[in-house]
Amino acid sequence: MALDAFLEGLSIATSGQMLVWLTLGLLLGIILGALPGIGSPVGMAIVLPLTLPLDATAAIILLVAIYSGAMFGGSISAILINAPGTESAAATTLDGYPMSKNGLAKNALAIATTASALNGFLAAIALIVLSPLLIEVVLAFGSPEYFLLAILGISLITIVTQGSIVKGLVAGALGFMISTIGTAILSPRPRYTFGQFGLYEGIDFVAALIGMFAFAEMMKLAARKQISEDDVEIAGNVRDGILAVFKYPVTTLKSGLIGMGIGMVPGSGATTSTFVAYAEEARSSTKDGKFGEGDPRGVIAPEAANNPTVSGSLIPTLSFGIPGSGSTAVLLGGILMHGLQPGPVLFGEQLQITYALFISLFLGNILILVVGLTLIPYASRITELDTNVIIPMVVVLSFAGAFTLNQNWWDVGAVIALGLLGFYMVRNNYSIIAFVLGIVLGPIAEENFFRSLQISGGEYRIFIHPIEQPLSFLLSLAILLILFGPFLKGRFEQAVTSG
Amino acid sequence: MLLTFLVVSAVFIIEPAVENYPDDARVFPQLTASVVFIGSLLLLSQNYLPDPLHKFVAKSVSITSSDEDTIAADESDQEDEATADEEYKKDTIGAEYGYEVNETVFMVSTAILYFIVGWSAGFLFATPLYILAYTLWFRVNPALSVGLAVLGTVVIYLFMTYLVLPFDQGHIFDFSPLLPLFLDASTTFPGGGA
Repeated sequence: MALDAFLEGLSIATSGQMLVWLTLGLLLGIILGALPGIGSPVGMAIVLPLTLPLDATAAIILLVAIYSGAMFGGSISAILINAPGTESAAATTLDGYPMSKNGLAKNALAIATTASALNGFLAAIALIVLSPLLIEVVLAFGSPEYFLLAILGISLITIVTQGSIVKGLVAGALGFMISTIGTAILSPRPRYTFGQFGLYEGIDFVAALIGMFAFAEMMKLAARKQISEDDVEIAGNVRDGILAVFKYPVTTLKSGLIGMGIGMVPGSGATTSTFVAYAEEARSSTKDGKFGEGDPRGVIAPEAANNPTVSGSLIPTLSFGIPGSGSTAVLLGGILMHGLQPGPVLFGEQLQITYALFISLFLGNILILVVGLTLIPYASRITELDTNVIIPMVVVLSFAGAFTLNQNWWDVGAVIALGLLGFYMVRNNYSIIAFVLGIVLGPIAEENFFRSLQISGGEYRIFIHPIEQPLSFLLSLAILLILFGPFLKGRFEQAVTSG
Repeated sequence: MLLTFLVVSAVFIIEPAVENYPDDARVFPQLTASVVFIGSLLLLSQNYLPDPLHKFVAKSVSITSSDEDTIAADESDQEDEATADEEYKKDTIGAEYGYEVNETVFMVSTAILYFIVGWSAGFLFATPLYILAYTLWFRVNPALSVGLAVLGTVVIYLFMTYLVLPFDQGHIFDFSPLLPLFLDASTTFPGGGA
């Protein structure tokens, strides 16, 4: 069955139409990723409603290609102007920008392209090989486990994104709460609509994604004049940059494994994996390293880690519906919007779509290499764009896209309202990813919550019984440890210190 | 912001009781609203909480950083700080006449105005006006402004044509019958225009 699905996926992914979407997505992703303030979640959120006329596979391939392309694109502005286009490229600035200042911008960009593409390519192969194992794991999960996984995802995000756990929980619960506006899932009872017919279908989570990412980001961008205030000069040698990646094979492969491993953890994203890869490289090369001053390994490590993180993060997103980052939250939104269900369905009857996606990722990384290396001499032009040109166009696309979802003006209003909320949440250190995750996962969490209670006859112990529901018990335990672990650890250390 | 969370979550808790929602429509939103309500209450009163609880509420935890400081007590302080950090004055038409408008406020206000005009008269007509007004205010090259306005209008027109959206019709003003005067009279608009 898996082989048949793989062959069908291969034929889908290599069809002319899919290759066009893949190439388009990658180009778009590289450009959007290179624009600080836009990045992959914003770009994907804007494009999401436009994928409505596409079939599900094409839409998801397009979104994953944008995500993958943006991962590389983010490093362009990180290297050239010290402003990462995506959060995942933040670690690249540490040595990428000093390399650029040392007249080695082309080398740094070539390193970023080669390391990203090479490891992304290897990670896609690993994903294809690993998927039969995933199928077994996914099939072991039932309704209580899916509900608890949604809570676990939000809990993990609260500790991955720095800040107060209570703030993270409030953000996630607020997202769940907003998702309950509209007709109830299990009974046709309208909730919190206050008689407004336009709210009967609730606030579309895609509109929420556009608001939280695109509109809120434009509010931030409004205060900046230009992507880059300085003139950028691109000097150096592309060939030397490519060779540098092969000169450090251990760094490249080790960082790729770190990227994929961390990406697989629900709730973590490329920002974490790239910094961990960088820190590990700096730690293991303390003797001869000039990290922070333009060491090529300081660019190889984060760049070799970021694209495998995309592959790794697809595992919790596709198998359990738990995205680890803003981009994967938007991707999950796309999956749900196109009627696909993460979990057993994507790894069962629709396995060919999952394989098509993995194969596209594999092909996409080859394209990143070709397109990325070709674009290097022109890369600086992207950073010269005026923000006043970008903002009105993004607003127009956001509003039109939100209206496209259900032809409902409330969705356009939600873009503005949630954009404002997102802007202030970020300013006050609330995790907007937890909030967005709450909105996206709300209906899934609610449905599985009630199914679980129906199974147990209304007994809440279905979520915590160690004998009858061992998996649920372990997940509940994990949630408690994540939420209270750091606090208890602090108390324990305090008690040990004081005697 | 926390007060808003408190009020909204209170509404989510009380409304099902007042409107008598069935259990399957009531329990989940009330549970989540309770988390928001209690969490907001804890955050709001964190400075008055006993020490262990204060630490739990205010302690910053991250696996990506070793920094475990407590968060700032007053949200408004952080907000002012952030505003000061990012403040950057752009050259605008308003500045020439002595009107200093914060860029973010201008962006949000014009976007809301664009939404209202789009809703009442149709996005097809509101879009070029919005783009022209926004870009010219920030002194973008007029030729580029016009180019962007045309591009934006084309994008909306493509939405109308291919996704069959009534962007040429507003809820108060309907200019769609006038379109053939500007365009080829034989053109048909799937979105409901002439």
